[in-house]
Amino acid sequence: MLSYFITRIAQAIVVVFAMSVIVFVGVFAIGNPIDVMIDPGATQAIREKLIAQYGLDQPLVVQYWTFLRNVFAGDLGTSMVYNIPVVDLVFSRFPATLELVAVSVLIAVGVGIPAGLWAGYRPDSFGAKLVMALSVLGFSVPTFWIGMLLIMGFAVELGWLPSGGRGDEATFLGVSSSLFTLDGWSHVIMPAINLSLFKMGLMIRLTRAGMVEAMGTDYVKFARAQGLPDRQIVFSHILRNISIPIVTVLGLELGSTLAFAVVTESVFNWPGVGKLIIDSILQLDRPVMVSYLIMVVILFVLINLVVDLVYARLDPRVRLKGGA
Amino acid sequence: MTKLTLKSAVAALALASAAPAVMAADLVVGLRAGPDSIDPHWSTLGSQAEALRHVFDTLVDVDEKLQLKPGLAVSWEPIDDTTWEFKMREGVKFHDGTDFTAEDAKFSIERIPEVTGPMPMTLYTKYVDSVEVVDDYTLHVKTKGMAPSLPNDFTRLFVVPSETGMEAGNEEFNSGEKAIGTGPYTFVSWQPKGDLVLKRNDDYWGGETAWETVTRREIPEDTSRVAALRSGEVDLINYVPASDYLAMKNDDEIDTFVSDSIYILNIAPSVKDEEPQPIKVNGEEVEGNPLQDLRVRKALDLAINRDVLVNVVLEGLGTPANQLMPEGFFGYSPELGKREYDIEKAKELLAEAGYPDGFEIDFTCTNNRVPGDAVVCEALAQMWSRLGLTVNAQALNGTVFFPAAAREEYTMTMSAWGTLTGEAAYTYGALVHTKDAEKGFGNFNRSGYSNPEFDKVFGEGSQTLEPEARKKLYEEASFIAMDDRALIPTVILQTVWAANADTIDMTARVDQETRTYAIKPVE
Repeated sequence: MLSYFITRIAQAIVVVFAMSVIVFVGVFAIGNPIDVMIDPGATQAIREKLIAQYGLDQPLVVQYWTFLRNVFAGDLGTSMVYNIPVVDLVFSRFPATLELVAVSVLIAVGVGIPAGLWAGYRPDSFGAKLVMALSVLGFSVPTFWIGMLLIMGFAVELGWLPSGGRGDEATFLGVSSSLFTLDGWSHVIMPAINLSLFKMGLMIRLTRAGMVEAMGTDYVKFARAQGLPDRQIVFSHILRNISIPIVTVLGLELGSTLAFAVVTESVFNWPGVGKLIIDSILQLDRPVMVSYLIMVVILFVLINLVVDLVYARLDPRVRLKGGA
Repeated sequence: MTKLTLKSAVAALALASAAPAVMAADLVVGLRAGPDSIDPHWSTLGSQAEALRHVFDTLVDVDEKLQLKPGLAVSWEPIDDTTWEFKMREGVKFHDGTDFTAEDAKFSIERIPEVTGPMPMTLYTKYVDSVEVVDDYTLHVKTKGMAPSLPNDFTRLFVVPSETGMEAGNEEFNSGEKAIGTGPYTFVSWQPKGDLVLKRNDDYWGGETAWETVTRREIPEDTSRVAALRSGEVDLINYVPASDYLAMKNDDEIDTFVSDSIYILNIAPSVKDEEPQPIKVNGEEVEGNPLQDLRVRKALDLAINRDVLVNVVLEGLGTPANQLMPEGFFGYSPELGKREYDIEKAKELLAEAGYPDGFEIDFTCTNNRVPGDAVVCEALAQMWSRLGLTVNAQALNGTVFFPAAAREEYTMTMSAWGTLTGEAAYTYGALVHTKDAEKGFGNFNRSGYSNPEFDKVFGEGSQTLEPEARKKLYEEASFIAMDDRALIPTVILQTVWAANADTIDMTARVDQETRTYAIKPVE
């Protein structure tokens, strides 16, 4: 187990390092951020002074080396636009994204897996067909548009829910979150539903496919022959057997939603990290782009690690070998 | 969850969100952009200045038409060729109770080069050589050479107390510790990309303001901003998108406020000896550059129906333009009449110039820079095709257009230009004057236009300190450049604000700023 961890962490370091080179070279190729930010009234002298001040006149290798040295000294850089350390900037907004994603994943799993099980258990029933048709909508209708419809319906016409933003926060057990207040929930529910639709569609289809396949297998037939009730067969045998692909996809989706929930965040004006990174790209705020993408890589590596651990728990045949 | 519990859950949420009714003395504004920092010397960004104006005052202020008016300085005049004297307002107090004096103004000018960021405010102090405090209420600014536009530069010079200290940076300002100004509001809190919360300063020198607290909320997404107004979450929004404007105008529950903006869509025909993209007749490249002929440029101008551009293409959100600035700006020429539309005369001029059957020309525009740029581009191409031209119009993303335009790769372009300072020197020095890196002129003159007569009049203006005489010279410069069709202005774009009907009273500003303290509730 320990050697497994060490190998995984060594792999992660290599991935992060490779990623930092790719991101750095890519960002360098886009161009000089000063040219994007500077006011048209500035003189050539002001421009050149700035470029030197931010070290942008140095060759790529030198700039990268400076960046690496700072990272090892624990400094991920300071935003050029806000003049706030990137880590502070990202973590001031990360809790908002975490809340939104957590609620949306709960909705996707809580609705998607039971619906998928039902659709696979009784594939010919009307309910199952309806569920499948709706899951196609979840996939194919753009989230931007659904978000606008939700706002028009529930915020503008009915006036039940606020149209955007994050609600009041409260502190519970030392954690500050808007999920501890009713106002917070009224703000999070619409964007969370909007964000969950795609994942929900995915969960329904994956679960149903696994379910249909499993219903025809020998172990289910044996269980039936043994006289076990269907409820027990579905929940303790089938669900466990089909959960590996579901957990894999859920892990990947979790990572990408945490990092790039930008469409939903924009539509609902949710103060999360997705909006921050898009603005940084538009303004070529290099330190934020580079450091944020590196944090995303670390996040994905961590999620994959957790997913592997969950596999081992779900399926005893999966062994966590050090050398693999 | 059963249907019943779902219903009651939704009802509970609805009650929760409907509970706090907005008090009349509070104002919540939904804005497209906000500040990047609370340090007023950090960045030149327009949305930054707009927000920080509520907390800090500038030495010189501007009215709705961007013309100068007293701010913390009550008067200013040049006392010799390189010295400006500013008289400070007396009896003004900072939010912490200390008195405002000339020492604070001096400190603010000197602080800018120490702390400014990648959008440098040194732009506004570039003419400053040294600053001298004569007495508590008199400041002398020595300039590098003659600087008639120094008061214009100081419209963005925010004053902080001299006790702030040079080492204080964004962190101290963002936390509120150093966010101490003389402005109409005191700072309460701010989150990057989030809310800026302000509280009324009851001792404001400029008189009482209507709102007890003001929340300036950033909602960059257009449709979300409109939804926030319609759901009652905010009281006022700026930058109403054109697609929603007509519906809002006809809606009894919404009031709209419209103003011309500083942005004008201008056509820039290249007048170089060899045009960057060839102009063709019957597929053959023509000798020389037809655009060098004034008759051809006049024909292009006459073929533009600006009323159609405004009323049909922009759905009413524009004004026909006859020069590079809106009316009332310093240097706007009242001599220039409305541009005429006369397709027959245009055809005659084109025939006289030797192109009775027109020619084929490339025309490149931006498509995302300002509202309406792409549609105006297409409409212009159609209008010119009536003249007999074959126009290959192309509307490009700004990130592609601007670098290529800077490399001067286009024969004829259209893009927006805004006279940010409200006076002609800014626009003419950059766009119309002959390109001259040494003098710092013509940085954005990509058409190769060079008119010694214009340069002479403009140059005289920039060396004249007396405002009335300078104004006359700039007006003459406007006339020369426009008569020569150096650039062809088409339409002035407009900005729209919207609020719930009969709730607020505001004057829409040409600089697009939403100054909350100038907004009053409807009684």
